[in-house]
Amino acid sequence: MAPYLLRRVLAVIPVMAVVVTIVFLLIHLIPGDPVSVMLGPDATPAQIQGTRQALGLDRPLYEQLLAFYARVLRGDLGHSYFLDRPVTRALAERAEPTIVLMLSALLVAVVIGVPSGIVAAAHRGSPWDRGLMLVSLLGVCVPGFWLSLNFIYFFAVRLRWLPAAGYASVLTDPVGALTYMVLPAVSLGFNQSALIARISRSCMLEVLQQDYIRTARAKGLSPRVVTYVHGFRNALVPVVAVIGITTAILIGGAVVTEIVFNIPGLGRLIISAILRRDYPVVQGVVLVTAAAYVFINLVVDVLYAFIDPRIRYD
Amino acid sequence: MTEAARPTWLRRLARNPSVIVGAAVLLVFVLAAFLADAVSTHNPTRLVPGNRLTPPSAQNYLGTDEFGRDVYSLVIHGSRVSLLVGVTTMLLTSLGGVAVGLVAGYNRRLDTIVMRLMDGLMAFPAILLAIALMAARGPGVWNVIMALSIVYMPRTAILIRSTVLSIRELDYIQAARALGRRDLAIAVRHILPNCVGPLLVQGSFIFAYAILAEAILGFLGVGVPPYVPSWGNVIASGKNVIREAFWVSLFPGAALTLAGLSLNLLGDGLRDVLDPRLRVQ
Amino acid sequence: MAGPFVFRRALVAFVVVALVTAASALAAETPRKGGILRIGNLGEPPALDPHWTTASITETLTNHIYEGLYSLDREKKPIPMLAEGHTVSRDGLTYTFKLRQGITFHNGKEMTSEDVVASLSRWGKQSIYGKALFAQVADFKAVDKYTVEMKLKEKSAIVLVSLAVPNNFGAIYPKEIAEKFPPQVKVTEYIGTGPYKLAEWKPDQYIRMVRFAEYKSRNEKPNGYGGGKTAYVDEIRWVPVPEVATRVAQVETGELDFADDLNLDAFDRLKRNPAVRPIVSKPYYWLVAVFNKKEGLMTNQKLRQAWQAALDIEPIMKNVAGGKTEFYRMDSSLAPVEITTWHTKIQGLPWNERNTEKAKRLLQEAGYKKEPVRFLATQEYKWMYDFALLTKQQLEDVGFNIDLQVVDWATLVKRRNNPKEYDAFTTGMGAFYDPTHHIYLTASWPGWTTDEDIARVQAELARETDHKKRVALWEKQTRQFYEKVPVIRYGDLFGLRAARHTVKDFDEGNERIRFFNVWLEK
Repeated sequence: MAPYLLRRVLAVIPVMAVVVTIVFLLIHLIPGDPVSVMLGPDATPAQIQGTRQALGLDRPLYEQLLAFYARVLRGDLGHSYFLDRPVTRALAERAEPTIVLMLSALLVAVVIGVPSGIVAAAHRGSPWDRGLMLVSLLGVCVPGFWLSLNFIYFFAVRLRWLPAAGYASVLTDPVGALTYMVLPAVSLGFNQSALIARISRSCMLEVLQQDYIRTARAKGLSPRVVTYVHGFRNALVPVVAVIGITTAILIGGAVVTEIVFNIPGLGRLIISAILRRDYPVVQGVVLVTAAAYVFINLVVDVLYAFIDPRIRYD
Repeated sequence: MTEAARPTWLRRLARNPSVIVGAAVLLVFVLAAFLADAVSTHNPTRLVPGNRLTPPSAQNYLGTDEFGRDVYSLVIHGSRVSLLVGVTTMLLTSLGGVAVGLVAGYNRRLDTIVMRLMDGLMAFPAILLAIALMAARGPGVWNVIMALSIVYMPRTAILIRSTVLSIRELDYIQAARALGRRDLAIAVRHILPNCVGPLLVQGSFIFAYAILAEAILGFLGVGVPPYVPSWGNVIASGKNVIREAFWVSLFPGAALTLAGLSLNLLGDGLRDVLDPRLRVQ
Repeated sequence: MAGPFVFRRALVAFVVVALVTAASALAAETPRKGGILRIGNLGEPPALDPHWTTASITETLTNHIYEGLYSLDREKKPIPMLAEGHTVSRDGLTYTFKLRQGITFHNGKEMTSEDVVASLSRWGKQSIYGKALFAQVADFKAVDKYTVEMKLKEKSAIVLVSLAVPNNFGAIYPKEIAEKFPPQVKVTEYIGTGPYKLAEWKPDQYIRMVRFAEYKSRNEKPNGYGGGKTAYVDEIRWVPVPEVATRVAQVETGELDFADDLNLDAFDRLKRNPAVRPIVSKPYYWLVAVFNKKEGLMTNQKLRQAWQAALDIEPIMKNVAGGKTEFYRMDSSLAPVEITTWHTKIQGLPWNERNTEKAKRLLQEAGYKKEPVRFLATQEYKWMYDFALLTKQQLEDVGFNIDLQVVDWATLVKRRNNPKEYDAFTTGMGAFYDPTHHIYLTASWPGWTTDEDIARVQAELARETDHKKRVALWEKQTRQFYEKVPVIRYGDLFGLRAARHTVKDFDEGNERIRFFNVWLEK
């Protein structure tokens, strides 16, 4: 298994190199100028030129790219133009909200998705099946940001059950963290539960067709035990894979959710960094999210290998 | 093989309720898009400042927006942009995905390089990459289409590649190769037709994603220019007045959801019928 | 017969007076100390260095931490802040400033003349107002520990007002900091003399300011941006909430005590909420389309005049203001009503002419052939997009061809510096406290107003110290403006902010928010 892991990890390096280069070029080709934004609407071109030189933005692009590579290899992602701190520190500060949001959304997605998939499969063709699948389909189609806005107005402003937006750290204020996280986690998780429900259902259906399930049934085990114990355990394998994919999609979905609910995570960081052309931060966030994506996939592959012994690491 | 299968496909398609419902709803949107000028009641781009945010009425079936534009006409014309973005993105990702997937699936040496590139593109959260591309290219319908095509193309490419890999070892392909057929000919004659099913299924989902992504880009202010009637733009402009004038974001949001629903139903139905591996008897 | 009537009137008057007195006694509750004041605003400041940037969010935040030698009173006239007072030599060329004694910085060091000299010299190299002032300065030095002296090259009318402007202002830093950071590099150590000191800055989460216990207030009453300042609340917590709908919701639910820059459509709803008081902030901005006068189509004065003649400004303003008359004002003066000294009341200016015929004639005289006019706007400031879109329709109705380009703010502020990339752009003009501060009348600001007549009057305004003559010059400049049309002046737009009723003694008369002297009832 070790060589398999090693190969999986090494394959990541060229991918990351591609990612970093694409992003660097992309962000520098964007018209717009961080200095003009920083100096405010009334700044004069002379003021702007002086600051550009001070930040090294007047140097040729390839020089800036090479300097960037050299720094990344030393683990230095540069210094944010706006935030008055190293990019690594800015990222570390934003990681917690995004991770908490993603995990809680994932929890919501799994808690809604897996049971409804299984129930739908167990009662295939029944109104339960149809109803659950229609709801999960709606989950895919309803625009997440629109759902979030309606949630805020309904649950926070009208009913006053929950705060409209904001964030509290899980470490310092767990109760506050929970109340802040409910709406974002549900609106982001509901979207993703749909995918999980649908895959769970089809995996479950496939498993229920297998011989050993028929055998178990023939042995006289109650249908409920057969479905929920034997069936579920085996349907778990592809579901784990889907959860991996879902987590990756959540990184993207978190961007919009963080903006609407004002959660100070990586998603909001990158949007504001793009808008202000804070190049080092954009590069840093993309590097880290891409790395996270690759890492999650790695973990999923390994988990997959553990759960399903049929997979060999050739 | 494909020749013989076709009539059964069609018959099965025609009997699948998901396909029928999905196609019917989609047809309504297509008709709305083509007949937009005839069925809309107002010029959707004409501003009428005095008629700002009026609720649904006999004059304005779905009310007016913050510039006094008729929401009903905006939604009707918006279906043009949404369908254009959806269809074109679907076509471009299919074309690009087939080209890349065929090359990768067929050429072992290029496979590694191409797939690393695809992995690189896939490593971005899709919406982030789209936002960055839009910021680079500026607002515009074709820029949205380009951005979404680049973002979604790798998925299709990977799908096609795996289809190619599973087919190329089959006996009849080996037989064709033994007969001295050139690779390109084999690809076009024998492999491509087998990709049509997965492609259609994938295409309908990409269509749905693209419509939704257009709306998200509009919401973030980096989509098609804000004065172009599109569902995303109307929802975005209605978001600040959701409590004073719910109709501005509600109706285009409903149209968006309905269109996505119809495409997903269609995709599900197509998959049931066309993709035997996922079909459960 | 008159007797009873007079008596009744007197009685009514007495009752009214009594009621008013009682009401005002009730209203003037005693302020109490304590509490955390949570304020929602647009986003992150690019810096907390007011010398360095003109961004308004930096202005708002830093005015709680730092102070300058002068400040502006309610009438927007300079009043001393860190200065005790000043004297001017008979020839008008030497200003001597006495500093207040016993003022300490947040780090415990006493503020003296060497801090003032170091800070203002840095400011004079970077700030737009500082540079304008220091262009006239021959020598600036410390005389003794509490006295500084400014020698001018020529007579100047703008010394005090330049030292008093709140934006891009001459904040006094400790000498060590002012000298450590060159003018082009923003300061990242935040030590001032203000009533609040920076405690913590967590980007996208909050900026915490806490009371500076050793703050020495002036003895005057609070007056505009200046006067006495008391830090009642223990902590001001500035929370960036970029999504405006969320910002409104949070002040309604009480998650925020105060929210700035709200969408005007929320006004009626906020008015109905018993826990919240909506505040109309004046003057906010006048809307403006700035022409590129260096290159391209709009270098043609007749085309600019055609644009001006065609506009019907009221419906544009009303739509931008969310259909609410409370939020806009029709006015042609270049300085808003609130700046009483410079507000002009000239009749018959070609403003808001709604003259389609004249516009068409001017287009013809200009030889205009439907060439597209590239008009840059942004949605990041929604009102900019709104008035640009409405303008486009009005102009196209008289025969213009407007290519509206909606880009993000970062792109707009970059492209407007390049004369090849646009013909006009949108922005807003905030309060300028002196005629020489109107940047759109200068050649160095994007759009490049290089007209010689305008420049000559600007130069005279900078030199002339007689107030009456300056007012006359300013009226002359205003007439010039409407003839040469360097930019289009639309109407005044007001802003909307909201405070919970627990927020007491907030001064609604200030254009930008200030929270010294504000206290919380909880």
